[in-house]
Amino acid sequence: MSASSSKTSFFSPRRVIIIAQSTITQLVRMKVFYFLLPIAVLFVGIQFFEAPWYSAAEISQPEQELIMHKNLCLGTMMLFSSLFAIVSTALLIPRDIEDRTLYTILCKPVPRLDYLVGKLIGVMAVIAIAMLVMDLILVITLHFRTESLLGLLETLLIEKKWPDHLIEKKLSEVASHGPTMTLQFAVLAYFLKASVVAAIALLISTFSTSTLFTIASSAMIWIIGAAQSIARDGLFDRGGLAEDSGAIGKVIATLVSLVFPDFQLFDSVANAATRAAAITQTDLLNLCGLSFFYLAIYVVLSWFIFSDKEF
Amino acid sequence: MSDVPAVEVKGLVKEFQTSFRGPKLRAVDDVSLTIEPGEVYGLIGPNGSGKSTTMKALLGLLKPTQGRCSIFGKDSLKVDSRNDVGFLPENPYFYKHLSGAETIKFYGKLCGMRGAKLKQRVEEMLELVGLEDARNRRLGGYSKGMLQRIGLAQALVQDPRLVILDEPTAGVDPVGSREIRDLIIELKNRGITVFLCSHLLEQVQEVCDKVGIINGGKMVREGRLDDLISVQSRTEMVLENASPELLDHIRTLVDVTHGVDLISEGHPRTTLESLFLKETRQKGTHEHGKVLKTKKRRNRVSK
Repeated sequence: MSASSSKTSFFSPRRVIIIAQSTITQLVRMKVFYFLLPIAVLFVGIQFFEAPWYSAAEISQPEQELIMHKNLCLGTMMLFSSLFAIVSTALLIPRDIEDRTLYTILCKPVPRLDYLVGKLIGVMAVIAIAMLVMDLILVITLHFRTESLLGLLETLLIEKKWPDHLIEKKLSEVASHGPTMTLQFAVLAYFLKASVVAAIALLISTFSTSTLFTIASSAMIWIIGAAQSIARDGLFDRGGLAEDSGAIGKVIATLVSLVFPDFQLFDSVANAATRAAAITQTDLLNLCGLSFFYLAIYVVLSWFIFSDKEF
Repeated sequence: MSDVPAVEVKGLVKEFQTSFRGPKLRAVDDVSLTIEPGEVYGLIGPNGSGKSTTMKALLGLLKPTQGRCSIFGKDSLKVDSRNDVGFLPENPYFYKHLSGAETIKFYGKLCGMRGAKLKQRVEEMLELVGLEDARNRRLGGYSKGMLQRIGLAQALVQDPRLVILDEPTAGVDPVGSREIRDLIIELKNRGITVFLCSHLLEQVQEVCDKVGIINGGKMVREGRLDDLISVQSRTEMVLENASPELLDHIRTLVDVTHGVDLISEGHPRTTLESLFLKETRQKGTHEHGKVLKTKKRRNRVSK
């Protein structure tokens, strides 16, 4: 007979991993990775897309071609990862409750925190795998496009009899918009953003009674998170309503920024990486710190609600 | 065996808020029960009587409004209490994307099992519930009866001291139902406490030591089954190959004895279940040709 005296720890990484593994298996067997196929086709297609202003004869701003390539691909990655985070997280817990699978899990010595964290990590792992695959395709397609542009540019500049050192400088400038390490920071920023979005969906699914409500609410928060810094700038930093609304407006803005996540930092790091601008170590630490802060806040709130939830 | 009861429910009250400002619904009203280790306890009652609410409170899925539930002395709201419990919900659904073996393994891992011990346990459980041939098939392709069996396997995977079964034979054919009954008896023989919720009164009567009847959220009768259902003023004799002369002699004796009446006599009937089992087992038409392997189980599962 079982060892009845065994003490169940408050939080067990091992149990969390077991639940996360099961979540990964569940999502993989739901064939979510099939979405990667059209995305791969899109990324390859983008490689052959040329901006209307592009002229091979001029190549006045060849780096713009690469920036556009990165923007389209990274935008797709951001959209896919965030939507995937919302939909998959919103489906998992309500389905477990509806199917009563949750009864059998919580009737084993599994603390509710382990269950929540396991589910979240499972979703994050699947997003990470999907983003790695998309990142790989992006790097490959961007590499070929950069090489092609550099070849073309070098030929044209030699024909125009540019001095060697200026040709080298120009080529180096254009190459910096290729598949560099800085680009990976954009992918990291979008992965962290999707993880925060998944944590929001997790929080909503702990009190929501329907999957549709969870998806709609999470999407709304995602939009507010993306737009709130723009709204705040408009209201307070550039005049606008700030002077009229005064303290009340500031309180509302502060409350909004406390309740809803601010995705400005994620987007600005990603945008800087897309433009091949320098990203400091402080920026990266801030990004990781902010992500961890949001994840911790939303997981604790989810746990707070879920621990009292009755089934 | 320890003196601590396997299950102790004391003054359990559970109220639900039906609407925002509406009155509260009292689903369970001052229910108390005690199950000693090794007993088989049957909780019976009509639909909506509070059986499932009592079970959920005992499993920590619901918080009592008043009162307290404990499992082997541990508060059932604490996660620790679940080390000793195996639970089979009514009409269980598991992850459809997992196979039978993966499902048992998953629940075993949640209970802290690992390595060779877990592997061995998965094999034992598959054999116990007769699903070795379906071990690699995903649960999405399982029949209702097979799901019930895999549910039993996950409930027993960590070898719990208490097994809680909510309508274990719901949706199971008579052969499967009989096998589950046999399994409950075997669990009892191994000293495992069983808390059973069932609508099948005949089944409860066959396996339970103690019974509680719950109605409208209140425990209306509770006690040892023999005490509750035996009619002390009457005696039943069943004779094999009794001659007409012997029967006449008995009737004469009853007639001449003051204060004794013969209420009825006749040939005992078999049950429809027995007839069904006899006919289907002869033809070997049970689902997937599988039966719970009770004889083998005794040797393999006992520790």
